[in-house]
Amino acid sequence: MSRPITAVKLVLLGEAAVGKSSLVLRFVSNDFQENKEPTIGAAFLTQRCVIGDQTIKFEIWDTAGQERFASLAPMYYRNAQCALVVYDVTKPASFIKARHWVKELHEQASPNIIIALVGNKCDLVEGEGNEQNRKVAKEEGEQLAQEENLVFFETSAKSGLNVKEVFIALGSKIPSNVQLNIQNDSATSANACNC
Amino acid sequence: MSFFNQLREKASQLSLFDKAEADRKPTRDELFRDEFKLPECETIVDESNAELLIVAVKSDGTSARDQSHDEGPVVYPGKLYLTQHFLVFKDSIDKRSCSLTLNLSTVKKVERIPSKAFIFALSILTSSGTKVLIQFIGIRSKSEEFSQKLKSQLKHNIPNTKKLEPFLRTLYSEFIIRKNEPGVDKSSVKAPEGGLGLLFKFPGDPKKLKDKSKLRLWYDYFRCNGRNLTLSKQKMFQKLIRVGLPNRLRGEMWELTSGAMYLRFQELGTYQRILDSHRDQRSVAIEEIEKDLYRSLPEYSAYQSEDGINRLRRVLTAYSWKNPDLGYCQAMNIVAAALLIFQTEEQAFWTLSILCEKYVPGYYSTTMYGTLLDQKVFEALVEKTMPILWTHISKNDIQLSVVSLPWFLSLFLSSMPLVFAFRIIDIFFLHGPKTLFQVALAILRINGEELLEIDDDGMFISVIKEYFSQLDDSAHPNSPDPKFRQLTKFQELLIVAFKEFSVVTDDMISKERNKHKPAIMKNIENFMKRTQLRNLPRTHHLTQDHLSNIYDRFYESIQSKKMSLGTGKSSMDFETMRQFLSGFCDWILPDDEFKYHDGDFLHRLFRAWDKSGQNELSLTDVVVGLDKLVNRNLMESISNFFGIYDPEGTGEIDREGILQVSEGLLYITKPLQDGKILDQITTNSIESYVADKVLELQTSPDDIVLPSEVNIDKEKFQREQGERYLSAASNFIQRAFEYAQPVEEPMLIDLPSSKDTEKLKANLALDPTHPLTLNVPTFRMVILADESYELLFSKTLADTIHVDRSITVTNKNGVLRDMFDGLIADGRRVASHVRRRMDSTATTSATSVTSGSSRSRTAVVSADEDDDDFDPHADDGDLMDNVELSALGDVPIGGLSDKEAQRGEDLKVLHEQSNYTKDTDQLIEFEH
Ligand SMILES: Nc1nc2c(ncn2[C@@H]2O[C@H](COP(=O)(O)OP(=O)(O)OP(=O)(O)O)[C@@H](O)[C@H]2O)c(=O)[nH]1
Ligand SMILES: [Mg+2]
Repeated sequence: MSRPITAVKLVLLGEAAVGKSSLVLRFVSNDFQENKEPTIGAAFLTQRCVIGDQTIKFEIWDTAGQERFASLAPMYYRNAQCALVVYDVTKPASFIKARHWVKELHEQASPNIIIALVGNKCDLVEGEGNEQNRKVAKEEGEQLAQEENLVFFETSAKSGLNVKEVFIALGSKIPSNVQLNIQNDSATSANACNC
Repeated sequence: MSFFNQLREKASQLSLFDKAEADRKPTRDELFRDEFKLPECETIVDESNAELLIVAVKSDGTSARDQSHDEGPVVYPGKLYLTQHFLVFKDSIDKRSCSLTLNLSTVKKVERIPSKAFIFALSILTSSGTKVLIQFIGIRSKSEEFSQKLKSQLKHNIPNTKKLEPFLRTLYSEFIIRKNEPGVDKSSVKAPEGGLGLLFKFPGDPKKLKDKSKLRLWYDYFRCNGRNLTLSKQKMFQKLIRVGLPNRLRGEMWELTSGAMYLRFQELGTYQRILDSHRDQRSVAIEEIEKDLYRSLPEYSAYQSEDGINRLRRVLTAYSWKNPDLGYCQAMNIVAAALLIFQTEEQAFWTLSILCEKYVPGYYSTTMYGTLLDQKVFEALVEKTMPILWTHISKNDIQLSVVSLPWFLSLFLSSMPLVFAFRIIDIFFLHGPKTLFQVALAILRINGEELLEIDDDGMFISVIKEYFSQLDDSAHPNSPDPKFRQLTKFQELLIVAFKEFSVVTDDMISKERNKHKPAIMKNIENFMKRTQLRNLPRTHHLTQDHLSNIYDRFYESIQSKKMSLGTGKSSMDFETMRQFLSGFCDWILPDDEFKYHDGDFLHRLFRAWDKSGQNELSLTDVVVGLDKLVNRNLMESISNFFGIYDPEGTGEIDREGILQVSEGLLYITKPLQDGKILDQITTNSIESYVADKVLELQTSPDDIVLPSEVNIDKEKFQREQGERYLSAASNFIQRAFEYAQPVEEPMLIDLPSSKDTEKLKANLALDPTHPLTLNVPTFRMVILADESYELLFSKTLADTIHVDRSITVTNKNGVLRDMFDGLIADGRRVASHVRRRMDSTATTSATSVTSGSSRSRTAVVSADEDDDDFDPHADDGDLMDNVELSALGDVPIGGLSDKEAQRGEDLKVLHEQSNYTKDTDQLIEFEH
């Protein structure tokens, strides 16, 4: 028998075109597409990942970013154990939106949800003369993360920077297998099959 | 900030779901228009039973034969309708055999067919060379009436006929007919403009799609049965669509079967006009569109070119201007990108319009209620038609909509290979939204066995993904029958969809929609409200309950017509704000007694709240404003009020401003002047009056007996209160002018005079030619000099703003009676008064000494009305003396440079005048 597998439901939230689907694509297929179609409703993907002595199977719900899709979101973050709230470091409005998502998750999602705040498209602000593209300072992200007790990373789905790291950081915060299953039994039956 | 704009925009759809609107039965004309896809302006002018025969006339005048119709032309019995611009026929055999939608502009000639006396028949020659023979059934006079009406509509329509020729040249169906006319130089016939596919190749393999032979069949059909604006749909028409439209014709057939063609013909040039009139304008929708332009069918080469991107940009942008309530929704980019492969921009624009408004209403709206609703309907249909699968899905907590929502929202374009999605769309435009349900159900049915094996979302999705990738494969690869082996999975899907799920009708869908609509709407409303409330700025005096009430009232006020499901405003203008406040503020009268002028309190309040300066208040503006207004902190509340009259924040108010402040104070205390509501001072005195009465009746010292009735002279208390507020107002103005600082340099401009200045002109000190300013500390002192006004800012004003009143409570009548009744009914309060009375008699009237609170002053006021705290007339002399001094430039006590000292002195004067020592001392400390 292989190691026990822990299924972890993870949801991605954030404004349209900040790169949620691209982060997932990078994490799941180590690939990047220049022009990715917007996510309609939500997409679902899975990825396994060994963290320490446990294997985690991420069940990833990638949601649509446009404001009007927000009323669908609760359907997807229901029972989620982890969330990635993504913004684009070159778009200040996306950071405000991220703040709102964090608030909503704290209020509406599972009480123990582990949230990562992710500033994506870092590649656009790196290198000579590109620093002026940055519209959200790293410190702002860090501060929000501090206030709200979030994991924080700046990433690039394009270059791959920190993408795996985010997921691993979230995965390692998941309580150990046994505890998790006890929790889950009462919360949801969706993960029951994975043991 | 655009995000807040979006939120605000969104909230505008939140009002309660309008039952009346949704349950309203569509009119006969509406149903008729929907059935024949006619524009809004068409109504039935006349109708008649008739028999109809369509024959094609060759260019040499003889009849052409439709090769697909071996039996030759058929006579169809049915019903004929006349509208403003159309002659419409539908057969009565099975309502599918023959329908004709003939635009009157295409009518070349109408003749009466000579026949026996009792038969009335017409022959109509159309621009496409078909002849429509109509024999009326029914009373002859009625038939003649119909034909008269037809004649007059044709006459009305003459101006439109000019548009016909150029319009026909935009149509591919006309092109293939002209090009193939005998004796025509093929190279001289110019092909019309079309979609991107003409330039970048159509997706799919044209050989495999058999486009050429399909076109040939359409050519025959068009020749014999009419086309575009003269089209008659017969059984063959539907068959030809079901085998898949040829790429070159697809764009035109989409606009024809959806009815977009009729709109385009009617609205020629509108598309370009919309673009021109909004050139260089920005909007939230445009920002969102820009984000997605390069993310729309990016693998199709046209969308890697500027031409393709620009067309897409223009169509989506134009639609966002045409329908600003909807704007732009992700998925529309994919749909529009698909349309533009086959259609010109103008065609795509009108097809997109009809799609959004008729085919998938509410799908793309800002609340996406249509999407949510149809997902619910789809689930209900799955449950109904595949109960075992449904049980399995719900038992395993699988989110069906994760899979199915994109099917509906993007018409399968983002789920299936494009060529297959196009074919579903062919049928969708012909048969309407039920097509989406039928295909979606068929997908689950075909994969049913496999789906019963899986138990989580991930596996569910991969089964379906796998299936979509194999649509071109044989459905029965192992069948001995070659015919079966040839059948592809896609063909099988269509067969299952339209045979097995033919039970899914428009009617069934609309019933299910009606059933689920209220719950869906309620959910959306709750969600929106929660989101909006969560994202409001932090309030200090309003609780969550208050905010909830304000939210409800706000959206009720701005929505005269309730949730038109994705429309409406999200901010209020002045008049709406007045209405809104009148719902819960005692000092605003719903039926306008006050004549509002620009400088008055409400206008000033509006401007103070209007942070964006757009002359509109958002929910946030209103909440922030109300939060200040209900502040019961005396000092803050006074400063806030001052701020309303000092919008620039200069810290000073001039003479005119002082007069306006006094008007404002009069305005907000109007119901107090009128005795419509009672302040604490009055209630206290009533209570002590009652207490006195009780004491009179008292028999033993330990035993307080509350009488069942005490006669209170209500009018007396009301009058007393009214006088108190009026004298507060006149004292205010006198003191304000007395203590206002003179402006050293005389003003060069004349101050405008108002009626109040007239009144005061008699007094030299108040002469407008001597400019004055009032600053915050002085304003405070003047307010604090009057107990009614002091109480106003620490309590009374906040009490008159009933943010705790939920939207269901609107009744303002009887408030007064309630107050009186409440006073009497609250026996405990009266009893405590009695106690206090008894105690105070026991300690031999030490009351005024021991407590310096306003309560004790109240007792004085109510006990001895004549011995008023302030006697305005007696004080006048002193006050005026002081003002005179200031006006003459003799800076009193300490000089202007030493404001502190002056303030101290001012206070001293006030103290003497108001018996108001203790609290004002605290004030000085507070200020520093
Ligand atoms: N330069 C750069 N571009 C990125 C990065 N991540 C995503 N993009 C681009 O940003 C655009 C949007 O990416 P998506 O991953 O589709 O964004 P999304 O958040 O899933 O968008 P929605 O599905 O509409 O909510 C695409 O054109 C990506 O190629 C990144 O790290 N760097
Ligand atoms: Mg996405």
